Amino acid sequence: MEELRERLSQCVAAVFPDLTPQEIPVASVASVSNWDSMATVTLHTLVQEEFGIEIDPDDLEQFVSYELILAYLQEAGVGR
Amino acid sequence: MKLMEALRLARAPADAEPFPVFLACGFTPLHLASFLAAHLRRLHPRLAPVVSVGLYGDVPGSLIRIAEQQPAAAVVLLEWADLDPRLGRRSAAGVALADLPDVLAGVQERVELLLARLGAAAERVPTALCPPTLPLPAMSAAAGWQAHGFELRMQAELAGLLATAAEMPNVRVLASRRLDRVSPPGARLDPRSEFLSDFPYRLEHASALAEQLAALLAPPPPLKGLITDLDDTLWRGLLGEVGVAGVHWNLEGHSQVHALYQQMLRRLSEAGVLLAVASKNDGELVRVALTREDLVVSDARFFPVEAHWSPKSESVARILRAWNIGADAVAFVDDSPIELAEVGEAFPDLLCLRFPTDDEGAALDLMEQLQDRFGKPTVRSEDALRAVSLRADQEFRRASTPSPSDGGDGTDTFLARADAHVVLEFSTDPTDGRALELVNKTNQFNLNGRRYTEGAWRDELTKVGSFLLTVTYQDRFGPLGKIAVLTGRCDGAEVRVTSWVMSCRAFARRIEHRCVEALFQRFATEQLVLEYAATPRNGPLREFLTPYLGDVTASECVLRRDDFDRHCPPLFHHVEVR
Repeated sequence: MEELRERLSQCVAAVFPDLTPQEIPVASVASVSNWDSMATVTLHTLVQEEFGIEIDPDDLEQFVSYELILAYLQEAGVGR
Repeated sequence: MKLMEALRLARAPADAEPFPVFLACGFTPLHLASFLAAHLRRLHPRLAPVVSVGLYGDVPGSLIRIAEQQPAAAVVLLEWADLDPRLGRRSAAGVALADLPDVLAGVQERVELLLARLGAAAERVPTALCPPTLPLPAMSAAAGWQAHGFELRMQAELAGLLATAAEMPNVRVLASRRLDRVSPPGARLDPRSEFLSDFPYRLEHASALAEQLAALLAPPPPLKGLITDLDDTLWRGLLGEVGVAGVHWNLEGHSQVHALYQQMLRRLSEAGVLLAVASKNDGELVRVALTREDLVVSDARFFPVEAHWSPKSESVARILRAWNIGADAVAFVDDSPIELAEVGEAFPDLLCLRFPTDDEGAALDLMEQLQDRFGKPTVRSEDALRAVSLRADQEFRRASTPSPSDGGDGTDTFLARADAHVVLEFSTDPTDGRALELVNKTNQFNLNGRRYTEGAWRDELTKVGSFLLTVTYQDRFGPLGKIAVLTGRCDGAEVRVTSWVMSCRAFARRIEHRCVEALFQRFATEQLVLEYAATPRNGPLREFLTPYLGDVTASECVLRRDDFDRHCPPLFHHVEVR
């Protein structure tokens, strides 16, 4: 679980390099001003690359916060 | 390169030099922009690339913006939909077979428009042009294995566009043959990503394409010299065992790769690359073998030829001294791993490459690698002069060495009889590629080691009061071509020199003193401000300044006219100022 969090944090940090380590776990569309549709697509691609999974485009709506992406990955069985 | 790595690498440190790049393409470039910035940074860590993106679906419009904004560099990336929207996968415009002639006519019109706007944009901005990397969508009724006339005509239109663009001074066209090798055409398209986010490339293709574009936009400085072994490298066979007639390079002897290697060396030499020989062999035997008329590269192109039984590191040391260039600008090619190791240990900066005599495929790869390391976008008249001028310089130095009967050192007498002609040309022409090349590759006589991208060079020369002085030289020993460059600004009473380089081949001719004199005369000033900075290798420049300024340590020096007049040695050049 910790490893999963760490790897996801690295993805989020790569897309939003200005976030501090404390801000990353609570990052969301609401709290990060430059989290726009482009950032969502980049994050989506990065998560696919990092975890070696294919994410259905319909699931992109969950890519709006760190916590939701984490939950999505756990549900998909990533890191088990 | 992974996207994660690209995003990290693309973040340049705050002190890096801004390098704005305009990326014009019809789709949403997303990760391609990240990969492009990352590969540019990997090639040039001192740069901070900032990639801005053009108008969506409007490459001609983006070309107008490039001309207006004048970034440091631009990439124009075409896909088929940019030649006609009906050729895009996202449009599904329902093109009927009867529409194909109309599509073709539309493409012809678009090609003309693109060329006109590309020409205008590239007038001021170095531009990389990339032909479509994704396949032309099926439009005809033909099966996939048949090349339909429509498709071939489209390819012909594209080829015409690229050939015309490649002849534009500031345009470089991406080589599809290399991209095909590093990114197989069948594994480039990501249709899901294209439909979802209008980014049509798989990540692997985006990275590979960006890497090629980065090299095209801001190529690393080419190497200057190649030292080659002879036996089982330049030719097949051991000269000492089989004799002059016994070594070979042909199909019959299964040694064709050596003929191709010779052909490549000849090509490099014609483009100004210095060639020399380092061989453990009988010197006289080598001299005769190199005069064989069927050699593809003639013996005159090799200088010096080191053929004896001493360690090759000693030969390499002598060659580097004769060329007067650093080991980091030279490649050494030999079939023997032991020789490569011995030379590599003595010269860690030298690029040591093994000639794989028994592996034709690896030999072809080696030649491709050499072509990349020595390749340059254009060949200039000075390039053809380089080997000739090196010999002229050797003659000059030999003749200038005083004999014991001279009494004094005889330098003034020698220089007075050298019949030296100097052409000093003042301009602000940023398109003088030779001037920029000299500034970016000269290490020893270099005021401060500053390097410029094409964009930064253009900016430097378009500042108010800027000047560019280039110096061309020849004497009775032969021409040296354009060998010195100064840039600076004249701002009222202050004349400031921002860059100053001179080829090491031009040392000992007092050309540097003539340059200073020319600045004093041109600007009628009493002092010059030199933006000096010590570098690990610019000792010769410092030595030149010492008689005028004493021990130079400051980052900015002021050279006064009366000091110059007092210390300047006699100058004997015939001078033409333009």
